[in-house]
Amino acid sequence: MSVSDQLAAAGVNRTERHQSFLVYGGFFYLKIAFAVMLASLILYIVDRPYGGRYGGTWAGYILGIAGAGLIVWLTWFGYRKRSYVDLHGRLVSRLSAHVYLGLALLVVATLHTGFEFGWNVHTLAYALMVLVIASGVFGIFTYGRYPALMTENRGNLTTHEMLSRIAGLNDELRNAAVPLDDATATLVERAVETTDVGGSPWRQLSGKYPGCATEAALAGIATAERNVPPELEEAYRGVHVLLDNKRALLRQIRLDTSYKAMMEVWLYVHVPVTFALLAALLAHVVSVLFFIPVAIRG
Amino acid sequence: MEVEITTLTRRGTAIMRRANRVSADRIEFGRGTGNEVPLTDIRIGLDAMALTRSDGRLTVQKLGATPLRVNGQPVDTAAVAPGDKIELGPYHLEFRAPPEGSDAALSIELSQPLGDAFDRLRHQSRIGLQATGLSKRTSAWVGAGAVVLLFLIIPIVLYGAGIISPWQKDKPTRLGAVQMAALAWNIGDFSNSHRFFAANCTSCHEKSFTTVADRSCLACHDKTANHITPAADVGPLRTRLADSSCVHCHEEHRGVRGTIIRSEGLCLDCHRSLTETAPKSVYHDVRGFPNGHPQFRATVVTDAATPRVERVELGRDTPPVDRPGLKFSHAAHLVKGGFPKLGYKQLACADCHHAEPGGLGFQPVNFAANCQTCHQRELVFEGAELPWPKGQVPHGSDTGIVSAVWNFYAAKAFQGGVVQPAALRRAAGIGGPPQSDQANPQELIAQKTQAALGLIFDEQRGCGYCHYGNGAKGAFDTARMIPAAANATDDKHPAFVVPVRLQSRFLPQAQFDHSRHAAMQCGDCHQRRAAEAEVPLSSFGQVSLNQPVPEPIDIPAIEKCTGCHGGQGAVVRAASTCTTCHKFHRQEFGVMRESTAVGH
Repeated sequence: MSVSDQLAAAGVNRTERHQSFLVYGGFFYLKIAFAVMLASLILYIVDRPYGGRYGGTWAGYILGIAGAGLIVWLTWFGYRKRSYVDLHGRLVSRLSAHVYLGLALLVVATLHTGFEFGWNVHTLAYALMVLVIASGVFGIFTYGRYPALMTENRGNLTTHEMLSRIAGLNDELRNAAVPLDDATATLVERAVETTDVGGSPWRQLSGKYPGCATEAALAGIATAERNVPPELEEAYRGVHVLLDNKRALLRQIRLDTSYKAMMEVWLYVHVPVTFALLAALLAHVVSVLFFIPVAIRG
Repeated sequence: MEVEITTLTRRGTAIMRRANRVSADRIEFGRGTGNEVPLTDIRIGLDAMALTRSDGRLTVQKLGATPLRVNGQPVDTAAVAPGDKIELGPYHLEFRAPPEGSDAALSIELSQPLGDAFDRLRHQSRIGLQATGLSKRTSAWVGAGAVVLLFLIIPIVLYGAGIISPWQKDKPTRLGAVQMAALAWNIGDFSNSHRFFAANCTSCHEKSFTTVADRSCLACHDKTANHITPAADVGPLRTRLADSSCVHCHEEHRGVRGTIIRSEGLCLDCHRSLTETAPKSVYHDVRGFPNGHPQFRATVVTDAATPRVERVELGRDTPPVDRPGLKFSHAAHLVKGGFPKLGYKQLACADCHHAEPGGLGFQPVNFAANCQTCHQRELVFEGAELPWPKGQVPHGSDTGIVSAVWNFYAAKAFQGGVVQPAALRRAAGIGGPPQSDQANPQELIAQKTQAALGLIFDEQRGCGYCHYGNGAKGAFDTARMIPAAANATDDKHPAFVVPVRLQSRFLPQAQFDHSRHAAMQCGDCHQRRAAEAEVPLSSFGQVSLNQPVPEPIDIPAIEKCTGCHGGQGAVVRAASTCTTCHKFHRQEFGVMRESTAVGH
């Protein structure tokens, strides 16, 4: 049973299925998130301990428990969200809740700190949480921005097709370069052999490939064409055209790779830092309970 | 046109052939399925080449972008014949002699299988971050593991194994790896005074999963004073006080400002209902500040001789009167313009009231430091026959003066008889018949002494100018002085002058800090005195110089404070709580807790 079948079986109509997680259910979870933030703010304002607010007052403990609960729940949510088996049409709903309550967490946890920070495991937990939320926000941004750019750039080609075409061009280049002079032929051969697509994370993200062999071959053939005998002009021009085509394809696929990497990279922060955050949260809670500092202050 | 197409597929050295016949006027080759001869390789165009026959001649024509070569030459259109070799993209086509019934025959082979080039390219191209070796799972484990190890396991092991030692005298703490690990758990900035052992967690945190015990605090703070006097009858509150621990009111890790939790709630827990829970307490109920705080009660002396003091509420129309046993009038001293005839300028507060070191209050006023400069003349009896040069009576012990005068006349009698000195007669106005030299010498000495004492303790210019006597209505009973002084012992010292009990604080339950109000003028709060300083001598009259009356004190009521001070959460007034003015630990009540007796 495909996902859409499952969605259909769960009685989710098409409009609902195609609703963005940001506007899901008439901003239902945004409203919930605002309610959470407002409640936290009221709690923070109402509790006025002498000497300044911090995590150890009664309001601080409530906000801390709420924040920790949200972190665990959002993590579980994030994990469950990956599972399509058990969705029953709630994917958008879950994502919407994850996003808005994740943003509300920033307010809850910040108020829990009472804006007291230091070089300790407690602030580490907070910093990791901010990093997780910031990476999530970046993720939302990429999901909003890159799919359209990708579609526009791809022009109905899949990655597989683009690579196939490059491979074909490589074959053609190899054949076409036969009549060329040795130096140019070597450049073309290098361009064929070293077709850089993808690579290190930075290359993928930046889409910049310094020392691209195709670019070098194009520069080489442009120079060589100036002194080419008339009978070989056509052969050179043919290779030149092939190299131009390859460059255009390379630009296309590299841009595509870059977009794809941008859409992926936030998860490489979001997910591992979430687990580091859970560990720091555990250390934070244990360390506070380890030396139960004082009774809750009014 | 009938064309026999043979598709060749190589498997290693073997060649498989699959032949079929195509019948059409125009045979097209390409990736598109509409072609008569579909070619499935991705590198070839949808419509790549057309084969036509005209007048018995076969012609190939390039249709799209796929390169077409006939016998190695790139062409757009070319006539072909059996034996010609055609390269169409990755395909190799070869025309052969047509069999019977066919117009043409050709074989097609994928000469450049995509597999090699494509697979190699795909293999080289690491697309997607996962292909770079990054792993969310691995980094999640590594990150979480590192955090747990560094910030959970290591601190617990260091603590559990006793590696974090308590602070030791003469062994200054150095910031090393162990201390850094310990401080990773620090929940907030330390108070400044505890920072020198901040990294030695075990100095305070002796056990895990429990609060800091009083024992840890008392290791250093063993002199901490009690809150109530040991004799005070406060009912069940005594137990409650004994059961409360240091951390009930003191909290560390709350920043440099200190460890005291100044929340008024801690005090009000008991003080809001003292009249119920501790009815014998002399204190009023307090429900907060400024609302709920009782009016200030000034402690004034009502009888300096006994002595007796009482607390009188301020803020009433009639201010409390202090009777410290001294005939003193602020108004007379502050008179505007001073006393020019005597050469005395107008006095200011600071002429007599000198701040204590630290500036909290003022040093006690005394004769030598504050009065003598102007009032020395009241103790000089020039021409009188007295034991002191130029008749200058020393300020100090009254018994000593009586003894000195008696001894003076006794010595005179011993040396050659006591005579009635003319000068003394003149000065004191003592008349009467001349004394006989044959009279009882002891009686004579007593008479002479009493006469001199009458002069010294005179109310116009002697001790009585400022002091009250122990006699009726504050008079000096000079007749009683000689026998009383004669019977004095070290233990029993008679006093002829009522002791002076000047107070330096009229609100001793609070700790008003004058230094923190230094920007204000004295008269801002002590307005009665400020008004007195505006009265010139001419309109002063004879109010007090000869008939001094006890004067009202000038201590501001609570309303003066609440003009600037608000409660602990005040925003537009100075935030003030109980400990802003009151001390919890009162030195006068002894030590609060013995460090050896602490169980928790």
